[in-house]
Amino acid sequence: MFRKKRLFTILIGIIILVVLIGYSLRDRTNLTTGEQFVSDIIGMVQNVISTPVKYVTNIFENIDDIRNTYDENQLLREKLAQYKGLIYEVQELKEENKELRDIVDKADTIRSYNPIHATVTARSPERWIDQVTINKGSLAGVKENMAVITAEGMVGKIQSVSKLTSTVQLLTGFDEFNRISATISRKDGNDIFGLIEEYDEETNSLFLRIIEESDKDLKEGELVVSSGMGGVFPAGLPIGTVKEVVPDQYGLTRTALVEPAANMYDINNVIVVDRVLEGEEEGEEE
Amino acid sequence: MRHIFLPLILLFLVVLEGVALDILPSSLIDGNILITPHWVLMFLVLIAMFYDSRNSYHSIIYAVFSGLLIDIAYTGILGVYMFTYAVVIYIIHELRNLLHSNIYSSLLFGIIGLTIAELIINLIYYVVGIMDSIWIDYLMERLLPSILANSIFLLIIYPLFAKRLDKWKNSKIK
Repeated sequence: MFRKKRLFTILIGIIILVVLIGYSLRDRTNLTTGEQFVSDIIGMVQNVISTPVKYVTNIFENIDDIRNTYDENQLLREKLAQYKGLIYEVQELKEENKELRDIVDKADTIRSYNPIHATVTARSPERWIDQVTINKGSLAGVKENMAVITAEGMVGKIQSVSKLTSTVQLLTGFDEFNRISATISRKDGNDIFGLIEEYDEETNSLFLRIIEESDKDLKEGELVVSSGMGGVFPAGLPIGTVKEVVPDQYGLTRTALVEPAANMYDINNVIVVDRVLEGEEEGEEE
Repeated sequence: MRHIFLPLILLFLVVLEGVALDILPSSLIDGNILITPHWVLMFLVLIAMFYDSRNSYHSIIYAVFSGLLIDIAYTGILGVYMFTYAVVIYIIHELRNLLHSNIYSSLLFGIIGLTIAELIINLIYYVVGIMDSIWIDYLMERLLPSILANSIFLLIIYPLFAKRLDKWKNSKIK
């Protein structure tokens, strides 16, 4: 009798497991109310806890930084001298751009976006799932599929949103269902377009499949940015640098290995990118 | 009052797992070694060993709920941790009568529980298609460091909670 009961419980458990997994792997757009409620509560506690923890870990990082300060200082001073000229140039260009825009009466481009600043409060302990939690949710205007960037470059996109928190899927967790249309800028309209397809664990890089090639070959160290053609992300977000170019298995197209610009393991403050110009409904996700 | 402590501690541990990877230096996470914190599971093992009596199954109920919390908060795939934690704690609950409850046996049960949990979780993820790595790599890169890190955690919380859980159990009976 007791044996039977035990077997019964285990079977029911497995059925519940399968149902729940099936439910959550379905292509769903929104979290259920219960999930939102739970993640909001956990998010609140995380806010409280992550602040002191971050403070302590920052102290250790700072000690590490101080040791490198002198070398960095020398380097930065040299760069600063170069930037002074650059700033002047950029300002001139910006003004000119604005004037020209006014002339053609076109204010918003796919480059412009509203930034929503957020702090990372938690990272998923499950390492197969590259996901972090940030402390801004739908109340702050965060929506699904928005791009998430740091100062260095793109880190991922918003996966799910609740009222006060939202989860970010990192670039390292991108698979064939999350493609980003990307471009490598060249002179005279010879830009190279491609699709960021997936993250490869072995080489620690993103695969950029080159759709349209320019006459010149790709070089190592070239900057890959988002092209804004997918309809969701704005243009010009830096994604990474080209590490290597390899032909694909049929030799027809070539694939560039792109090293992400941002460090995926050391993220504290992020900006959620709210594109001004609305794209089509189905965008980056095909 | 006593019975509110355990859920609160478990909730606190669930939250703490989210910042656990920040505490470790990023050079360690950056590399190929994968450490997964299973602190909730470690505490659940202690509950199963010290708080439950032979015929009470509080630890399994706690395992179901804290597993569900982890699923919602950190993975978005419901049921995986919930099922795994419940099964593991059930096994520990059955096994614990074989040995006296002391620090060595809880360390042993902790390691057994962790191994079973990691295997079940990764089996499910493998079936679902989230994980695709070769199992031998997986063993070296993930299981061993995880067992080491979580055993250290168990050794830290053992002196804090073992006696206390026993005390709470006795006051529960009264």
